Order: sequence, then structure tokens, then C-alpha cells
Amino acid sequence: MTAPLLETHDLVKDYVIGGELVHAVNRVSLRIQRGEFVAIMGTSGSGKSTFMNMIGCLDVPTSGTLLLDGIDTKTLDSDALADIRNRKIGFVFQQFNLLARTSALDNVAVPLIYAGVRAAERRERAQAKLEAMGLANRMQNTPAKLSGGQQQRVAIARALVTDPLILLADEPTGALDSQTSLDIMGIFQKLNDEGITLVIVTHEPDIAEYAERRIVFRDGQVIEDAPVTSRRRATAA
Amino acid sequence: MSELLSALAGWGVNIAIAITALRTNLLRSILTTLGVMIGVFSVILAVAVGNGAQVSVTQQIATLGSNMAIVVPEPERANGPPRPGDRGRLTERDGDAIARQVPGVNAVAPQIRTSVQMVTGGRSASTQAIGSTEDYASISNLATEDGRFLTKSDVGAATRVVVIGQTVADKLFVDINPIGETVRINRVPFTVIGLLESKGSNLGTDNDDQIIMPISTLRQRLSTGPAQGPDDVTLLFVGFEDEEALVAGDREIKSLLRARYRVSKGKITPFTVRTTKEIAETSGQVTQIFQAVLVAIASISLLVGGIGIMNIMLVSVTERTREIGLRMALGAKRRDIRNQFLVEAAVLCIIGGAIGLMLAMLAAAIFQQVADFPAPIGWDTALMAIAFSAVIGLAFGGYPAIRASRLSPIEALRSE
Ligand SMILES: Nc1ncnc2c1ncn2[C@@H]1O[C@H](COP(=O)(O)OP(=O)(O)OP(=O)(O)O)[C@@H](O)[C@H]1O
Ligand SMILES: [Mg+2]
Repeated sequence: MTAPLLETHDLVKDYVIGGELVHAVNRVSLRIQRGEFVAIMGTSGSGKSTFMNMIGCLDVPTSGTLLLDGIDTKTLDSDALADIRNRKIGFVFQQFNLLARTSALDNVAVPLIYAGVRAAERRERAQAKLEAMGLANRMQNTPAKLSGGQQQRVAIARALVTDPLILLADEPTGALDSQTSLDIMGIFQKLNDEGITLVIVTHEPDIAEYAERRIVFRDGQVIEDAPVTSRRRATAA
Repeated sequence: MSELLSALAGWGVNIAIAITALRTNLLRSILTTLGVMIGVFSVILAVAVGNGAQVSVTQQIATLGSNMAIVVPEPERANGPPRPGDRGRLTERDGDAIARQVPGVNAVAPQIRTSVQMVTGGRSASTQAIGSTEDYASISNLATEDGRFLTKSDVGAATRVVVIGQTVADKLFVDINPIGETVRINRVPFTVIGLLESKGSNLGTDNDDQIIMPISTLRQRLSTGPAQGPDDVTLLFVGFEDEEALVAGDREIKSLLRARYRVSKGKITPFTVRTTKEIAETSGQVTQIFQAVLVAIASISLLVGGIGIMNIMLVSVTERTREIGLRMALGAKRRDIRNQFLVEAAVLCIIGGAIGLMLAMLAAAIFQQVADFPAPIGWDTALMAIAFSAVIGLAFGGYPAIRASRLSPIEALRSE
């Protein structure tokens, strides 16, 4: 049997706020297999983002172990972590985080710069991902000239451009209206069908129903972890 | 090879990112560049003026003549300020003795000077008259453009002949050839026998504003102020065969003169021997110090420019913390972030440096026209300017760039 894509053991992240120790993430142990579509839920401040940032190698755990694709991330230096973020992980943010005054095409190509890909190939690959997101005729637009849903699709294209193993999305629909949110979930489901692993954080129970597994956080701990019973399918866009 | 190419491509990307970032804050970028521009401008101009001084001094020394020594009847300055009693005498006979007894001497020309008033055809000019001998021309690199120089018989017979400089000729003669004309010098009629080739001017001294006549004539016909004896001279020009003879000649002349004037042991030599070699060396040192001081002063403005760069880069890093976090999330390594900001600082500085260099070249050209003073800017200076501004960029952009690269990805990403 292949190792899980992602495995945590007693993962802890502590913060000191006003002299008081806060366990933002408190001894979380879980596994995510290849091809899973996981939704993380929980009240505000329950530690969802903190957990996502650690499994995305953006933040360093206070203690515990994180195995990514079989590699213990404790053993990696900052360059190796940057490399993992570049090649194995794709991030989608609530606020899209596109570079202003930069075309959709150039935005999507950014991760390829850091992967050392030549300019011509960067262009080709970024173009292909944008086309797959239905943005073939918006490639030269800057973010200011795109709708929220279009911006998020550019961001998804950027997350996918290095063909990562896993997509991490912290409240990807948080800044979108409900119809656009459903479009984005449709895209995620399609990507998942194509084999990519997805972990999304959401506040909305119906959004979570597009995933196949639901994990609920409270006070930094996992209080529920179960398959989604009444799974929804987005009508193909 | 392919690694080198991809490294170059990486820099190309950084340059593209830098230019986008600089264009985004165009006015701020221009103002920042201004600091470096002014700094590079003043440093380059200082170098150019220093070079010009060096060139000018070299030219001036060349006009003195090569392998030549000047003997003056006063003690060396190093022995303290000269007192009236220290002043020695120097005569034409001393010159003869030097010519005969000091090895390697080609010729000796004595010199006395006086200011004179010249009149001809209703025009007049005042100038310096130099009394010397036929050897003066060869020793001090003088040549006639027209007519001839003094001869041995002119000096022997104390004829009333004169060789005039270009400036004097221009003042006295319009549209006529001065050769063969008669001029009255302090009321005494002289015949112009030669016109000197122009030697230009050095730092405000016009080398062509002089006339030369036989030393014997000057003594007999024109009053020369108080002299201790009939053949006293102001100074002696001694021409040597080569540099080796010149170097040795310095001491030879002094000991010969000490013997001739019976200067007892332990007393200071009342003569100074200045060789062209020494003059060149001291002048070279002086101009080098002059240049160093100029460059040091100008460097302060470059330093200020550099601090401006650092300030703006720190602001830029703070403003773009979120972008830095995003780039890190997308896979940028620390060195990618560092290089991005280094390139940005270097681009600012190189643009500022290039404009500063062009302005300095323009200013040097104007300076050369207006002040008639050479201020050369060579390729080496230009390259140095560009390299220097890149170094400023790296030095002052280095700290902000390293600070940016050390940010934690998540903290950078979360910043507002
Ligand atoms: N950088 C930080 N410094 C100090 N405390 C922090 C920091 N980041 C998070 N926390 C604390 O950790 C706890 C968990 O925060 P986290 O952002 O993970 O919550 P969340 O579940 O994502 O909440 P939300 O749904 O509001 O996004 C909170 O109590 C928060 O105050
Ligand atoms: Mg959160």
C-alpha cells in the first residue's frame, strides 16, 4: 500500500498572546490519502487556518510531525520547503492574492519562474492552464479587469501550473457570491475526479457537502472526521 | 552551459520584475535615482577635473624642457623660511664652471629678467624680457616659428635683437610680419629677429607673453634692478644629456657651488637645484592629493544617494511584504527574494549612474570650452562610474534585500 499523501502526528502550534499560551492547533493526528477531497470546518478561531498553513509548509509546527509524500518536513531547510511548496502544493486563497498590474498569464506563470522553467515553456504551460479554466480570452487582463470568480479561476490555474499533488484552499469561496461559489466547487470536483488531492476550509455547510470527507475543528482539535453522507455534485459548468 | 543560461534567465526575470515595480512608483523611483545621479555626477566630475589637473601639469612640465635643472641662489625651503642673509649669488661664471665640470651637462643658459614696455607704430605692450644665451632655446624647449633665435655672436656683441612671443606679436603687429621690424623697448630700439612657437597657457599663465634677448644686451641697455656684480644672474638653466645625468647632476652642482663660494661644512647650501624630474614628481603628488580630496568630497553626495536607495528599498520591502509572502508560497527561495530586491536597487542605481555619467560628460565638455581646462572622462572612468553605481545598489540595497528574504512566508502573507 502506498503511504498517505499527508500524515500528521500530534501536530501542535502554540501562540503566546498577551502572556497567555494559546494552543491554536493542539495535538492533531490525521492522514489524508491521495485523491481525497477533504473539507475542514469549525468555528472562527478553531485553528483551521493554522493547520492549513502548517500542512502547506508555510508555517513551522511548534511540535509534532508532518509527513508530506513520505518526507518528514522537520528535516528540510527553507530552500527545500520552498521547493515542496513550488512542486507539490498549490495554494488558493480567500482574497485570490494575484499580483496587481500583472496579466493573468504572467500571474499564472510565477510558480514556473521559481521552478526554473524557460520563458517560452512558462508561457505555454500557463496558457494551457488558463484555457482549462475557461479563461482563454482573458489571458492579458490584469486582475482589476476580472470579476471575483474569474480572479479565483486565475488563482486556481496558478496553483495548478506546476502540476502539484495537493491543492490547499483556505476559504476559497469566502469572497464570492453563492452562484460563483458553486462554479468554483464544480471546478474543484472536476480536478478531484482527474486525481488531484484537495483540502479546503469553509464555513458554509453546503459548500462542505461537495467534498467527500469532512473534518471539524474546535479549540485546535479535531472533534469530528467522517465521510460526507449526502454528497452534492455540481452541475457540469 | 544550460545552468548558466537558466541563471541568466533568472536574472532576466528579476530585471523584468524590478522594472515593473519601479514603473509602478515612477515618481518615487525618479526621485530616488536623482540622489545616485547627483552622487555619480559629482564623483565623475571630480575625477575628470583631477585628471585635467594632471594633464595640465604634465603639459606645463613638458614646456619646461626635459632633463633640465634650474639653479636658484637661495636655500631650499625645507630649511625654513628664507632669511635675507641666506640668499647667495649666482653668476655667469658659475654657469661656465657647471658646464665644464659637471658630467653629462649639455649646456647651461643663464637668465635674468625684467619687465619692459614695448612700443612700435603707435602700439604698445608691457611684458617680461628674458636675457639669456643661444643655448636657452634648446634647454627649455623653445623653437622659432619664423625668423631665428639668438646666436653666440648676438650674445657676444650685445646686439639689440629680440625674439618675441605670440601674445606680444599679436599686441604689437597687425597684418604685418614682425620679423625685421624695429620696436622700442624701454625707449631703446631693437630689431625683431624671431617669433617663438606658441606654448599655450597653463593654469592662467600665458607662456607666449614674453620676449627673449641676449643677456649682455639686457644688462647693458635695460636696467635690471640691484645686482651684486656685473655678471650676476637670477637663475641658471642646466641641460643634461639624459635622466641619469640629471639625477646625479643635482648633487654635483651643489657641491661644485659650495666649493666655489667656500661654504664651510655644516652651513646650509645657499642654492636650490630643482630638476624637471622632481618638479614632475611633486606636481604629480600634489595633483593626486587634489584629486583625492575632490573625489572624497564628491563621494559624500554619493553616500547620501546610497542612503536614499536604502531608505526607499526598506519602504518598498515593507509595502510589498504580502507580495513577498505570496512569492514564497508559490516557491520563491530566500535567494530569489533577495535577488529580486538587489536587482531592483541595482537597476535604480545603474540608471542613476548612467544619467549622472552623461551629465558629467556634458558638464566636462562645457567646462573645457568655457574655462579652457581639460577635464577628460575616459572609458575607464565611465565604466568605473557604472560599476560603482551597481556596487552602491548592492551595498545599500543589500540590507533591505536580505531583510526581505528572511521573512517568514506565513507572516509575510498575513501582513496587511
Ligand atoms: N500569528 C498569530 N499570532 C498569535 N495568535 C494567532 C496567530 N494566528 C492565529 N492565532 C490564534 O490561533 C487561533 C487559531 O487561529 P486560526 O486563524 O487558525 O483560526 P481559524 O479557524 O482559521 O479561524 P477563522 O475561521 O476565523 O479563519 C486563534 O485563537 C488565533 O487568535
Ligand atoms: Mg482562518
